[in-house]
Amino acid sequence: MIDNLMLGLETAVSPENLLWCFVGVLLGTVIGLLPGLGSTTGVAILLPVTLTFDPVTALIMLAGIYYGSQYGSSISSILISTPGDSSSVVLTIDGYQMARKGRAGAALAISALASFFAAIVSLIGLIALAQPIARFALNFGPAENLAIILLGMATIVSFAGENILRGITMAAAGLLVSMVGVASGFSTARFTFGSVNLLSGLDFVAVMIGIFAVGEVLHQIRRGGEKPIRAGFRDLLVTKEELRRAFPSTVRGTGLGFTVGVLPGAGATLATFLAYGVEKQVSRFRQFIGKGAPEAVAAPEAANNAAANASFIPTLALGIPGSGTTAVLLGAFIIFGLQPGPLLFQQEPDLVWGLLVSFFFGNLILLVLNLPMAPVFAQILRIPYVYLYPIVLMMSFIGAFALGNNMFTLWIVFFSGLLGYFMKRFDFPAAPFVLGLVLGPLLEKYLVQTSALGNGSLLIMFQQPLSLILTLAALVALAYPLIAAVIRNLRTRRADAKQRETVTH
Amino acid sequence: MHSKKLLTTVAVAGALSLALSACGQGSSGSSDGGYEPPGNVTMIVPFAAGGGSDIAGRATASGLEEATGKSITVQNIDGGSGAVGYSEFLGRSGDPSYLLATETAMLALPATQDVEFTYESFTPIMKLGDDYTLIVTKADSPLNTCSDLTDKAQNERTVVAISGATGLDNITFTLMEKATGATFDRVPFESGAEVITAVLGGQVEAISVNPGEVAGQLESGDLKPLCAASDERYEYDALKDIPTAKEQGIDVAFAQFRGVIAPGNIPDEAKQYWIDQSKKFAESDAYKKYIEDNMMQPNVAYGDDFSAYLAENDKELRQAIGK
Repeated sequence: MIDNLMLGLETAVSPENLLWCFVGVLLGTVIGLLPGLGSTTGVAILLPVTLTFDPVTALIMLAGIYYGSQYGSSISSILISTPGDSSSVVLTIDGYQMARKGRAGAALAISALASFFAAIVSLIGLIALAQPIARFALNFGPAENLAIILLGMATIVSFAGENILRGITMAAAGLLVSMVGVASGFSTARFTFGSVNLLSGLDFVAVMIGIFAVGEVLHQIRRGGEKPIRAGFRDLLVTKEELRRAFPSTVRGTGLGFTVGVLPGAGATLATFLAYGVEKQVSRFRQFIGKGAPEAVAAPEAANNAAANASFIPTLALGIPGSGTTAVLLGAFIIFGLQPGPLLFQQEPDLVWGLLVSFFFGNLILLVLNLPMAPVFAQILRIPYVYLYPIVLMMSFIGAFALGNNMFTLWIVFFSGLLGYFMKRFDFPAAPFVLGLVLGPLLEKYLVQTSALGNGSLLIMFQQPLSLILTLAALVALAYPLIAAVIRNLRTRRADAKQRETVTH
Repeated sequence: MHSKKLLTTVAVAGALSLALSACGQGSSGSSDGGYEPPGNVTMIVPFAAGGGSDIAGRATASGLEEATGKSITVQNIDGGSGAVGYSEFLGRSGDPSYLLATETAMLALPATQDVEFTYESFTPIMKLGDDYTLIVTKADSPLNTCSDLTDKAQNERTVVAISGATGLDNITFTLMEKATGATFDRVPFESGAEVITAVLGGQVEAISVNPGEVAGQLESGDLKPLCAASDERYEYDALKDIPTAKEQGIDVAFAQFRGVIAPGNIPDEAKQYWIDQSKKFAESDAYKKYIEDNMMQPNVAYGDDFSAYLAENDKELRQAIGK
């Protein structure tokens, strides 16, 4: 183990590798920052550039782009409510609220620190336990994954705001929109109205850019005349109190992100939603969540980074990609003539360990870059809205065009922008809609698979111990808030009745 | 009103001069015996970055770049199992500065879905090679051959994973059913990686995958090959001991082809130009490396030979999965 780490250190600290690690995380930050251009596309675009490098140098740089973009994508979510990647949608809730209260610098600093903490802890987990964890994760088949998605659906209540019915309505609307396209496991097209562009469904990132970025700009225009947030430089620094509140949430987010990230079927986006949901239930300051709470910035950010690192576990230990981006990285392995698979650790120790050790340096560089830059980035909010909003709109549409390389994606952004505006105007929460949209295709896929596996019956969810536990947990999580609401309702009614009685007497 | 008129005039003049300059280039090209792309070339990959089609498209693009000295940009237009990219390509009819990295989806999509194209809508240029599949199972499975698998499937419920309704694995299993009278229960997944996970996790009995996708797991002994659904045994060291399905008495062989096509209705000299450049690419080391890295069979075909191959393949495919 120590020998391996020394070997990795030797590889990772060579000036060339350090340089390209730096270039990678810097590029990653920029790629993450731009809406629409996520880490998967970023790595794929820059892959050909690295073909002349040493394989290990190339992979260090490409991996740097991956985790660098996890840092970058939160910046635009917090500052201008425009998520750079699907895994930072959740940050547009509390992160953006913090920014509107003049705490943008603090939110950025918390997000950088939480990211760093999660990255380092999950990296230790990755180095120490990659093989056994990867083997265990194989037990998660369709039934177990279905239960996890149901658990994710249960967090709707946390995103619903004050009116649960509206939350559930929006989640259902999100699910409905996610049905557009070719059905999972079949070749029938649904709700496509003969349009080829709709065959692959509405691009989730495009819908998100529309609802969040364009919707927010329209909403602000209608309210009109608001002054830019003028926070002094001192106000932009994070306070001790905020850090103390964020720490336990960071730890919880890291654990959750790591667990979900290891599973072959879930992913970083689901991890961030779950982390937010958990905070809403267990945090001491849960009544502030949704209104700009540091907990709700730290937990999803930690979950996001932990999940990104954890997705390397199946990738390196089994040769099965753990996320979209690691799938592209596996492609890179083959291009470099490396054979991804369970023997990679033995056959290419200097490559694997050099790559893993480079994660330490990469995350350190990111922290050093992001922490002092947080107040500087936050200055963006001083730009008068006359200039800021056109820039946001332009970036959104450029990002959307980069997604699909066609005009159709721009129309999706345009119409989702209108939808987002009306949702804000009439107080319909956006997060449950996004949750339905993200989880819809996964829910459908695992439902179809579970049913096919069980020969048409879903009872197999209760037949294996692992899926039984997860299914029961999901059912409890789905039912609990409703039962709690009913009980609360009954209690207040009884109290009211009692009060009325005492009044009449 | 005036300004509008002016704009129109400018636009018309611009279009004219463009057309003229295009003519000029065309004629200068034909003077030394053929077509040459006037500017940059775009290679459309109808699947997302990182997959098998993307790797093939990028390898071909860089190989053709070397051969032609032109710059060739790869553009991923994914969605609808490839339908979006092919449909976009259909709109480039007559423009030989576009190419597309093709594979079996070009035949499978028209056979199963309402799309506006068939393989005859395009100009086949080069078939890169064949990618057959291996039938594999988990290392500790009691099955040892494909006949064990089909025997089991004749008597009891046998679950296999497929990577989609139009996937190569679904076609292979369907052909095996037709050849032996067995029935497989299919669980649909969405990618090669997902089906490998499912067989490693023991959720399904067997899968059918391209050897390049599982070489690592085969070498480590986590997966066990049952047979190769190919006409002849592989020559690669790691695969040469795997018997073909035919050797085990199941007459099934079906390959995914990979290749390059140009849009339909392009001039004959443009078609010839791309065929000549592809032949240069096929002789390069880059081509050999691509084929070996992905454990494919280097069965090339050009132009009309490729078209003839497609016609034959289309017939087989429609018998297996057609609607």
